[in-house]
Amino acid sequence: MTQRPLELILARNLMSALSTPAFLVDEGGILVFYNEAAGMMLGKRFEELGKVGADEWGSLFGPFDESGKPIPYDDLPLVTAVRSGRPAHAEYEIHSSDGASHAVEVSAFPILTAHGSQGGIAIFWPAGTNGNGAQPA
Amino acid sequence: MKVKLWGTRGSIPAPGPETIRYGGNTSCVGVTLSDGSLLALDAGSGIRSLGLDLGPEPTRLHVLLTHLHLDHILGLAFFAPVFRPQTEIVIWGPASPDASLRDRIARYISAPLSPVEVRELPCDVSFRSAPDSEWEIGPARIRCASVSHRGPTLGYRIDDGDSSLTYIPDHEPGLGADLDRLEDDWISGFALARGTSLLIHDGQYTDAEYPDHIGWGHSPLRDSLAFARRTGAERTILFHHDPMHSDDFLDRFGVEAKERWAALGGDPAAIELAAERAEYELPVRAPRAAAPA
Repeated sequence: MTQRPLELILARNLMSALSTPAFLVDEGGILVFYNEAAGMMLGKRFEELGKVGADEWGSLFGPFDESGKPIPYDDLPLVTAVRSGRPAHAEYEIHSSDGASHAVEVSAFPILTAHGSQGGIAIFWPAGTNGNGAQPA
Repeated sequence: MKVKLWGTRGSIPAPGPETIRYGGNTSCVGVTLSDGSLLALDAGSGIRSLGLDLGPEPTRLHVLLTHLHLDHILGLAFFAPVFRPQTEIVIWGPASPDASLRDRIARYISAPLSPVEVRELPCDVSFRSAPDSEWEIGPARIRCASVSHRGPTLGYRIDDGDSSLTYIPDHEPGLGADLDRLEDDWISGFALARGTSLLIHDGQYTDAEYPDHIGWGHSPLRDSLAFARRTGAERTILFHHDPMHSDDFLDRFGVEAKERWAALGGDPAAIELAAERAEYELPVRAPRAAAPA
């Protein structure tokens, strides 16, 4: 058995303490963790979900562009970030488990180490908020 | 494989009448492999005593550094073999994008902190970044992995025959996580320590002390025990004693560790506190002490 890269372990530990929804994928694009806040958004805790392949996890929450069309997996910010080694940002709509649509902003960045890319993190914010869930004044 | 603890203290040497029994020297463990090859794990102030003990031999040895915090390298410039031209020393340590291992160590072994420079050391010394893959020293297979501490830090596993030693002296695997709830592969250092014959692991803080030291890179007893239990280490030595912990304090701490280990279902004889100059011999086929389920 091998250990996950330390950077992923530390990222997971950090994400566990965040109140903003956050997703973690490994270098192969496999969804390896999301936090409780993301679980609330999706309506399912990560422990209930199990391993989700690279081309499957995007469909957990949509997402959809402003015209309501599904956004291809290859265009998701987290995929872009992991593949390009650069941060990526996007705004789109997701569908929560109760079917409601939510406009969100997504920032994703790669986890780059001395051993190369180890994966990436995406953090979701409700669109138009200050990051604490409160509407701007 | 023979193991001797030459420095068990963390952070800073703590000599004095209060630390005679557990020792005041910082991290260093001497390892003699089954073919006589010599390793030093870390080069804290304890390595000075190791160097004196070696005498004029050997002519070749390896120093495996977990990281470059001062308490793990400060003895290098006082290690007698480095001043012998006939000695070949290979120093292994964590890689860094910042600078080579040699250059990073030279920040300490150079003016104004040191009267000598690395280039002036009479021995034949080489510096190697520890590889990602397993490598061999004599009859032993060596593995390392990055572990949770402050700054680039490695843990090491040395397998010699059927015996293994795992050395993770500075480790905070429970930072931001509950070790009892994590899957094995999400626990820092797990793969190194899994089923090891002898685990030398961070045991710097009591549970009561830990809340004031979260993120400092060291474990409370709770996590040291959880890590040892989860990995199934046959025998565990709690290491890297806080410089504020006197012998009397550590006596009580050791009793608590054994009691809590027993409460977890383990054999109290299979866990102890590191004491300077303590020696351990790992037979080719080590008998398994009971570990908690």
